[in-house]
Amino acid sequence: MDELLQEFISETQETLEALAGEVIAWEADPDDRDRLDAIFRFFHTVKGSCGFLNLPRFERLSHAAEDVLSEIRAGKRTADPATVSAVLGIMDRIAELAEAVAIGAALPQENDDYLINALTAKEEEEETPVADSVTAPVAVARASGGQAAPRTIRLPLSLIDQLMNGVSDMVLARNELSRKLRERNGDPELESAFERLSTCVADMRDAISKTRMQRVDRLFTAIPRMVRDLGRDLGKRIDLTLEGGDVEMDREMVEMVVDPLTHIVRNSIDHGIETSERRLALGKPESGQLKLEARQSGNQIVIEVSDDGQGIDTARLVDKAVAAGRLTAEAAARMSEAEKLDLIFHPGLSTAHQVTAISGRGVGMDVVRANVERIGGVIALDNRPGRGLTIMLRVPLTLTIIPGLIVRAGGLHFAIPRAAVVEILHDNNETLQISEVGGAKIATIRAVRHSMIDLEEVLGMEMPAQTGPRAIMVVRSATGVPFAMGVSAVDNHEELVIRPASPLVMATGVYAGMTLPDNGKPMLLLDAAGLANAARLPNIVDDRAALLAHEAEDAQNRVEMVPALRFEELTGERRLLKLSLIERVEDIDAHLFGRSGGRGFVRLDGRLVPVANGHHGFAGDKVAALRLRDGSREACYPVAAVLDIVDMPAVPDMVAMQGLLSGVAVIDGEHLEVINPFALFAALPGEPVAEKDRGRCLLADGEDGWTREILAPLLRQAGHEVILGLPADAAVDPRDIVLFSGADATQAADMLASDMLGCRVVHLRATPRPNGPQDSSIYRYDQDALMAAVSGSRASGKA
Amino acid sequence: MMNQLYLFARLAGTRIAVETREVEAVVKLAEISPVPGMGVHVAGLSALRSRVLTIIDVAALIRGQRTPVEDRGLAIIADISGHSYGLMVDAVYDICQVPEGELPLRGQLDPAWLSYARGIVEHEGQPYLLVSLSGFIEAGVLAQAA
Repeated sequence: MDELLQEFISETQETLEALAGEVIAWEADPDDRDRLDAIFRFFHTVKGSCGFLNLPRFERLSHAAEDVLSEIRAGKRTADPATVSAVLGIMDRIAELAEAVAIGAALPQENDDYLINALTAKEEEEETPVADSVTAPVAVARASGGQAAPRTIRLPLSLIDQLMNGVSDMVLARNELSRKLRERNGDPELESAFERLSTCVADMRDAISKTRMQRVDRLFTAIPRMVRDLGRDLGKRIDLTLEGGDVEMDREMVEMVVDPLTHIVRNSIDHGIETSERRLALGKPESGQLKLEARQSGNQIVIEVSDDGQGIDTARLVDKAVAAGRLTAEAAARMSEAEKLDLIFHPGLSTAHQVTAISGRGVGMDVVRANVERIGGVIALDNRPGRGLTIMLRVPLTLTIIPGLIVRAGGLHFAIPRAAVVEILHDNNETLQISEVGGAKIATIRAVRHSMIDLEEVLGMEMPAQTGPRAIMVVRSATGVPFAMGVSAVDNHEELVIRPASPLVMATGVYAGMTLPDNGKPMLLLDAAGLANAARLPNIVDDRAALLAHEAEDAQNRVEMVPALRFEELTGERRLLKLSLIERVEDIDAHLFGRSGGRGFVRLDGRLVPVANGHHGFAGDKVAALRLRDGSREACYPVAAVLDIVDMPAVPDMVAMQGLLSGVAVIDGEHLEVINPFALFAALPGEPVAEKDRGRCLLADGEDGWTREILAPLLRQAGHEVILGLPADAAVDPRDIVLFSGADATQAADMLASDMLGCRVVHLRATPRPNGPQDSSIYRYDQDALMAAVSGSRASGKA
Repeated sequence: MMNQLYLFARLAGTRIAVETREVEAVVKLAEISPVPGMGVHVAGLSALRSRVLTIIDVAALIRGQRTPVEDRGLAIIADISGHSYGLMVDAVYDICQVPEGELPLRGQLDPAWLSYARGIVEHEGQPYLLVSLSGFIEAGVLAQAA
């Protein structure tokens, strides 16, 4: 196909789209000369171009339309609804032909004469007055518009995609460069140049992503025509208002929203808005009001469709659900209004009394919701029974960036859209109970039963052994029935740039796309509905109301519960300890633990703290430990692992005082020993542990800058008590250590005097080399020797 | 047709020829992230700069057996209907023009190759099976659907 023809086709298609709304507006106001001119110009252009391109069918159609329009322009004819329909018919045919040419298919062999006759035939009929109660023109009000269109050019999409990829590559290269720069020494000049480059790349990325944006107007173009046609078919008068057409959203997103939106508008006209007679009888204005409004809210686009029709009859919805066996009458009685309304999203439930040609064909709101959720959107209803219905669609600004959760399963990472996840719990959570029957897993969460699957099982992966608890996510599939899914862990929450996966991967049906995180390892995006399908989960309405009843019942016969920490002992048992006794949980260096006089101690913050369970000597570098306090005394309780916080009965289910234990409590079906805090503290040594082995560090040169700023902090960091300057009352304890760095003789003599008192003296010198063979001082930056001298190996210092 | 460029490679132990207009590049395979739930013929996803390639284990498609990870060497990169694929091959020999072009298939072909071989191309006195990369992808989609 040559370029000229291609240009002609795409231009024609675009103009047709834009004109559809104009024709409707023109019908509502036939005196609008500007609109008439615009439509006339279109046919005129088509006629001219296709004569040149040798497209006779186009030419004939446009010629006929042009004739009629020129008569209207000349005032010889009026634009009655029949004429407008005929003109629209011609436009449709031209669109079909253009489509056929564009894809290189054979032109549909239909009789164009019929359409052309429809145009001219009306001329004769016009004399006879037509009963036009049904030919209601649709008044279209556009809140925005009338502005001159900005100058644009047409570009192939592949070029834009290529640009996008180029920019992505650039960002990756930038990241690599930034890593390399960080490894080298900072050169401020280089860094500022790099900063500038970074800013440019970021700006470029923003600009390029804007090329994918499109005005919501495009979403609205088909609406007026549809409203008009439906209104005519159903004999309803409708005033349509379109607002916010200048809001921009992702090109692909526009395409994804068209279908759900069309469906909603259809529903509104078919089921929502009443016939004129009925509206008059109800005291409503004769014409139904239908309003479409788009606006941006954060990184979402909100599209609202509101009508002033009859709203949704929830009672009828419930009756249908009960009749269809989806719901027990008992459960229905307990449902709240919002839950009843939610039934509209269940497959096969429609409030339409009878199936019409327009809607109610079983393809209902469930599909609309599925489609909206597939693109990460949310749908909400505001039902005003008898007065109208507002349906609100919230969709992300772009298809390509969605908030997602990173989950781990079978040793791999997967992403799942955040919007699909309702709740995440660990499988040791007490509100969760997992039971298995005939291979099927059922997760009962707060009395609501969900079908449960393990991601590894659905994907045919091996389930690796796991020490910690597994994460159970409640996932809402697009069909609206949530299910529980087990994964190894939920790792992270990220904004993900989603790209389509190849058809091969999509064929599995469980993936919705893929993403390339910063680590360069491609990751797959899970499709919640696809997983439910792959696992062939049944579609059952869950009985939410039972949950409330259960909770109320629970509250009545509730025993007093206290929060407790569940942990694993170093010996392997799982035990509970009242949470209020635990000051904090921390990892302590294993070498700080020691033993003296048959009791275990640990050195913490310069004090010796008793170890409650007597453990000492551990395998790793760090030991997880509970810091306990009974108000005045403290203790340390090393454990193998801290598991979680649970509610345990204040009195253990089975009281059995024995040693440190007060009894056994049953938590989530697991029998756990409960530590008796009384016994625990009673067993601790009565006297605070005295520090026997260590003295103070007396820094003789308290005024010296080096001593004050460098030596003192170093010693304090190492856990020594530091005193600047020698105590005036000369209360020097034999365990104390005196450090001095001065070189003058009198000071040295003083030092020796104190040495006679029995305490150690460490002499520091400023030069790396000793001053002579007699010089026993330590170079002040020789940290190892210094620390050894201070911490008591008497060999050094005064050897 | 006369001066068609061909890429000569070895795939599942067989000499093959691919028309170069189907080939975008030949790369050494980096790390492959597996795609669970797929047939053996999809080795996984691999990143090539900012692109994500679907790596096809072509030998597995033909022989039904996964190529061991340590034998994964080279992949032919191809863009097929808008998606990037990497097709694993054992070795790549040469790219050159073959003046006589494509010859018809002769002899009794291994049934495993039947649906992929389009003809024979001779290079340095050796016959090479002429295959089409998009043929492998189509077969892969069918295998997955089955």
